[in-house]
Amino acid sequence: MSPLPRPAPPLLMLVPALVAVPVLLALPALAHGGGWDLIGQFLLAALRPSLDPLVLHSALSGLGVTVVIALLGWALSLGLGLAAGLVSSRTLWHTATGRRWPADLIRRLLALPRSIHELLWGLLLLQVLGLHPEVAVLAIALPFGALVGRVVGDQLDALPTGGLEALRAAGAPAPGALLTALGPPLLPAVISYGGYRLECALRSATLLGVFGLGGLGTDLRLSLQSLQFAELWTGLWLLLAVMLLLETLVRALRQRWGMPDRLGGRAPAVGRRGREIVLGAVLLVPVLLLMAHSLGLEPGLLLHLNPLPDLAGSYRPAELLAMPWPALVGQTLALTLLAGALAVGLAPLTLLLVAPWAAGRALLKLVWALGRLWPPPLTALLLLFVLKPGVVAAALALGFHNLGILGRLLLEAGESASPAQGQALVAAGAGPRLALLYGRFSALARSYLAYGAYRTDVILRETVVVGLVGAAGLGTALLEALSSFAWDQLLALMAVYALLTLVGEDLSDRARQRLLACP
Amino acid sequence: MAPLLELRGIGVPGRSRSRLEDVSLRIEAGERVALLGASGAGKSTLLAVANGMLEPEAGEVLWSGQPPAGSRRRRRRQLARIGTLWQDLRLIEELTVQQNLNAARLALWGWPKALLNLLLPLETAACAAALEQVELDPALLPQPVTALSGGQRQRVALARLLRQDPLLLLADEPVASLDPRLAAELLALLQRQAGAPRALLMSLHRPDLLAGFDRVLGLRQGRLVFDGPVRTLDGAELERLYAAAP
Repeated sequence: MSPLPRPAPPLLMLVPALVAVPVLLALPALAHGGGWDLIGQFLLAALRPSLDPLVLHSALSGLGVTVVIALLGWALSLGLGLAAGLVSSRTLWHTATGRRWPADLIRRLLALPRSIHELLWGLLLLQVLGLHPEVAVLAIALPFGALVGRVVGDQLDALPTGGLEALRAAGAPAPGALLTALGPPLLPAVISYGGYRLECALRSATLLGVFGLGGLGTDLRLSLQSLQFAELWTGLWLLLAVMLLLETLVRALRQRWGMPDRLGGRAPAVGRRGREIVLGAVLLVPVLLLMAHSLGLEPGLLLHLNPLPDLAGSYRPAELLAMPWPALVGQTLALTLLAGALAVGLAPLTLLLVAPWAAGRALLKLVWALGRLWPPPLTALLLLFVLKPGVVAAALALGFHNLGILGRLLLEAGESASPAQGQALVAAGAGPRLALLYGRFSALARSYLAYGAYRTDVILRETVVVGLVGAAGLGTALLEALSSFAWDQLLALMAVYALLTLVGEDLSDRARQRLLACP
Repeated sequence: MAPLLELRGIGVPGRSRSRLEDVSLRIEAGERVALLGASGAGKSTLLAVANGMLEPEAGEVLWSGQPPAGSRRRRRRQLARIGTLWQDLRLIEELTVQQNLNAARLALWGWPKALLNLLLPLETAACAAALEQVELDPALLPQPVTALSGGQRQRVALARLLRQDPLLLLADEPVASLDPRLAAELLALLQRQAGAPRALLMSLHRPDLLAGFDRVLGLRQGRLVFDGPVRTLDGAELERLYAAAP
């Protein structure tokens, strides 16, 4: 027996939820009680969204812009990511040139665009390009492209190279051998991941709108700040409909085409209906071009950059050093861990609590869907009606959003996991909650927690989006530096932030590998 | 005393599983009953009705003279008295042997104890006793079940059944995937545990394993066509049981 008790995997899933206890205890001290009636009005308005034709029209056209931005940013990111993935693959470099080090170098370089959240990209590009729809598209495409590149590169290098070596030994030229040996096994993972990125792109496009980069998000924020809750819900319900439609479509295609699950719960019968997939990709191109045209995109704009701000002139080293760095970094880390633990722990806990009731599960699904699509800065603004600004309000907002994402993932993975163990427990008289905990949760625990580690890394990058609640670490300082044109501070903050996210990524990678390797 | 299991006129339509038609039978405490029949004859369906996982469209199921309980709590206590040894074992791979054995007690445990079982070794003496009954070393208790051999896994599944302490033991072809020596050992262990007040109902697809059973039920295309002591089952009856559909 080991000296310290080690929680079994299903229990480990629930452990992060323990942070909810101190948060709940701290809430009375943080509440200022001013805006409960506003929260009440907000919740009631969900049942009575405005159906005014003017409001509807404005919401629909905003939604159209958001969807187009998401689609274009996503398509561009896939193109960029595929290219980045190919040039950062060790296998590829090794086959073509006999060397591996260029791949490692490119990998390190790609970590930089990835470490900067799309919101920061958007706000930076806004300075350089001016307010154009291209800004939002690029803001999504650049960091997403780097992310896709990493996934493609990792997948490529993880593929067994036996087939490739056989082809090379038989004298096939490098490009042909690579395409034949690695193309077909790579495609399912890339398409499956690509579908998931499209969902992320829709959320990001909404978020960018909240910060004024166009689309429905802008309307949502204005309605919230002018307390027009009925109009707010018109936009929200529409957005929910589009998001659920998209998720259903992506899921249906993933199943139809035999693509792997995101948690990899079941060994996939990968890669059916190749012709259909190619046809879909080909059909997508004119649709995207049409959309780009409707949005009035001009690629030529990218050549006309605004003059860069005078960095040297604003450089004040004494002030930079005087910034409260430890507090900023500490707040950011506290915010990340708090939001991460809330999201990772509450998803399985709430699912367990409603397990016996189908209606409860349906309600939970709806709340999670709202959490996913509802941009965290708006939740944060809403929370400020009743809470003092700070790390807890920001963590609740980020936690709620990520709870929606993790919860859906857990639900989907649970549905595709084998029900046999749980049924055996039910047959022996266990209740539905304990059967779920001991049965499906046991099977899912490791991959779920590994995904939670990855998600926490994403949350670290995301802390900037709730920076606007104030006193929430580097994100708040960054947004303040941006709005006061303090370029030297902005650069220093971004460098520290990027460093932090790179370290975070490394830590989360290690945690993931340990979780997945453990017997 | 009421029989441990009584089926009256059970009917299950054959949509997603093999059908059953007007099956009636009684199993008394102390009986060791083998269920024979060709593939698709309805053996698994009958066992699913017997362990309460499948509600029949027609007929009545009584456990110790009681119909399925209405309230959730009483129903769970009722199910706790029916134990099933699954063909695919259904051990929880991520947990230790001891946690798996204790999982059989979840019907009677509250939340705190169920959670604690995932953290600390609980009721070690009872778990060790269950392992000894199936001739396994109690030193295996802290091992993850993934570390066990195939034969050990079979026995742990049986030990879990004993830990549940049911009156009615059901087994769905538990020896189908075992080599002859392991199969005979497991059957002997199971039969030894099935004396009164318990009873055993086990489906088999090989008639050569009937030694040690008191009684045979024969299913053919969803109908009960034979019910009698093992010695009365002769070659002609067997041939009729396994004959191709007309």
